Amino acid sequence: MNATLAAILAILGLTLVKATPLIYAALGGVLSERSGVINIGLEGILIAGAFTSVAVSGATGSPILGALAGVVAGMLIAAILAFAATRLGVDQIVAGTGLNIAALAAAAFGLVLVYHQPGASHEVPALGNTGEQVLIVLAFVAAAALQFVLARTPWGLRVRACGEDPSAAESAGIDALRTRFWAVVIGGAIASLGGVFLSLAELDLYSDGMTAGRGFIALAAVIFGRWTPLGATGAALFFGFFAALQYSLQRAGVPSELMQALPYLAALVALAGFAGRVRAPASDGVPYIRP
Amino acid sequence: MSALLRSRAFRDVAVVIVVVFGVGSLAMLLAHVSPIDGFGALFDGAFGTRSELAETLVQTTSLLFPALGIALAFRAGLFNIGAEGQLILGGFAAGWLGAQFPLPGYLAIPMVLLAGALAGGVWGAIPGFLRARFHANEVIATLMLNVVAFLLATYLVNGPLQQGGAGASETATLPKAAQLPDLIADSRLTWAFVIALVLAFVLRWVLQRTVFGYELRAAGDAPEAAKRAGIDLARTAFVAMALSGAIAGLGGATIVSGVLHRFNTGLSPGYGFIAIAVALVGNLDPLWIVVAAFAFGVLQSGGVAMQAEAGVPRDVVSLVTGLVIIALAGRRVVSSLRST
Repeated sequence: MNATLAAILAILGLTLVKATPLIYAALGGVLSERSGVINIGLEGILIAGAFTSVAVSGATGSPILGALAGVVAGMLIAAILAFAATRLGVDQIVAGTGLNIAALAAAAFGLVLVYHQPGASHEVPALGNTGEQVLIVLAFVAAAALQFVLARTPWGLRVRACGEDPSAAESAGIDALRTRFWAVVIGGAIASLGGVFLSLAELDLYSDGMTAGRGFIALAAVIFGRWTPLGATGAALFFGFFAALQYSLQRAGVPSELMQALPYLAALVALAGFAGRVRAPASDGVPYIRP
Repeated sequence: MSALLRSRAFRDVAVVIVVVFGVGSLAMLLAHVSPIDGFGALFDGAFGTRSELAETLVQTTSLLFPALGIALAFRAGLFNIGAEGQLILGGFAAGWLGAQFPLPGYLAIPMVLLAGALAGGVWGAIPGFLRARFHANEVIATLMLNVVAFLLATYLVNGPLQQGGAGASETATLPKAAQLPDLIADSRLTWAFVIALVLAFVLRWVLQRTVFGYELRAAGDAPEAAKRAGIDLARTAFVAMALSGAIAGLGGATIVSGVLHRFNTGLSPGYGFIAIAVALVGNLDPLWIVVAAFAFGVLQSGGVAMQAEAGVPRDVVSLVTGLVIIALAGRRVVSSLRST
């Protein structure tokens, strides 16, 4: 095998690793937004998944239990947003912003409580290479499954109906509040796996700020992928590819800041409609209040 | 009395107090610190001495600018989550220009502040333009532009516009003439505080008493009716976002000119995000926002002492701030519900 091929394979491998947490977070975002709830709190869900999985793995010695706990934590954070969005009819974006701030601070506080040191946890039993590979494959399986569920199943149709026109959905006998609630919570479970991947598969510890805005890149991927699971996965792969290339391009003189800004700029271009017609679900972000 | 108890503003304040003291106490107990000691250290650190009070007012000032900007956008029915990025770029423009072109006496400070307001204004105008022209959701746009602003400032200050050492992530020190004069000797409190207070009064006047303010509020409160009354919603959105960014950018410039005397990429511990809580607690009313900014200024400056004296991690302050935002998210539903 020659050196160029090896380099290309290394980049592609790194692309998968960089894209996987983005895919999970973006899929969670797609499910939530298709039901009509904008999930700005994806970053907070990633943090919850990453921190909790490490803390529980360290306490029990079982990374599997840790991963499960990370998913539960992500669902709990999502449930707060889901409850506020469906039952209290609050501004979803304001609530999501608060969740991100609170989750980051709670994890930083948790580090001091559990490990008696700020900044980073100790190393804990991790999922290892096998776990990493399983989670990478699972991300693509989840993307295909979610695409199928949204497009072809009765529940998927109900979710989409609530995202487009919740009052029409209710007149058709769908419980819009309940459907939205579960779409956000299940979305939280999927997104939290991105956090678990970061802390317990790619690494074996949690450190402050390790999610590094991936929840926002995932939001960009949702838009760039036009609110479909496969589209968002494609966008996440695209962003992951540039993240993987970052080091090589930096050596070639391309500023790393430009590479890091790429997902955000791509999302802006997509938002402005320069990348073809992009349409959010009609009731995305609009609280539904029963008459 | 019962009317007061039932009023929404009263309920909001009650919710905030319960969240701050309830969650704060719980967190302190988890850290094995008695809440009395913890909050004691916090308030002592915020008010104990003259210089501590001055530092609390410094934090108040730094929160007040972005909070006023965010409130202005909110009143127009727009959510500017991008205050952090606007503040950072405003700070960068102020720091770089101030150090690069030393101007004599009376010109230096106005130039530095104007540069900050302009840079923040441009950064706010971009999502305003995207909104007005392409119906792009300003929430997502400002969120994305926050990160881009930070990356852009980092790139410029370490790259093409480098003044400090390589990789120092900061500009050179501003000449004395470009530094805002102290309000209290031997403290970091400068005339920026007075500027922020004046701005709050001016903003209130503009919102309540001018045609522009009326159009802005109409666009926010009843977009359909406003449109029928001939108010240009696209133009209002653009101007509101640009002004909102300019105010946040001015805030960044005052931090550079008054507090740090140079731009540094770490100049904001998230003022632009905490300011969302400040604007909401202040009920989007510029004068109440002054009170709210002081309350959060106390938490910010007292948090340092709480960590040092009582051993409670400062993160508790951020945790409480985040929860306050969630608790008040039902206060007003604004985000992008209107069609431009």
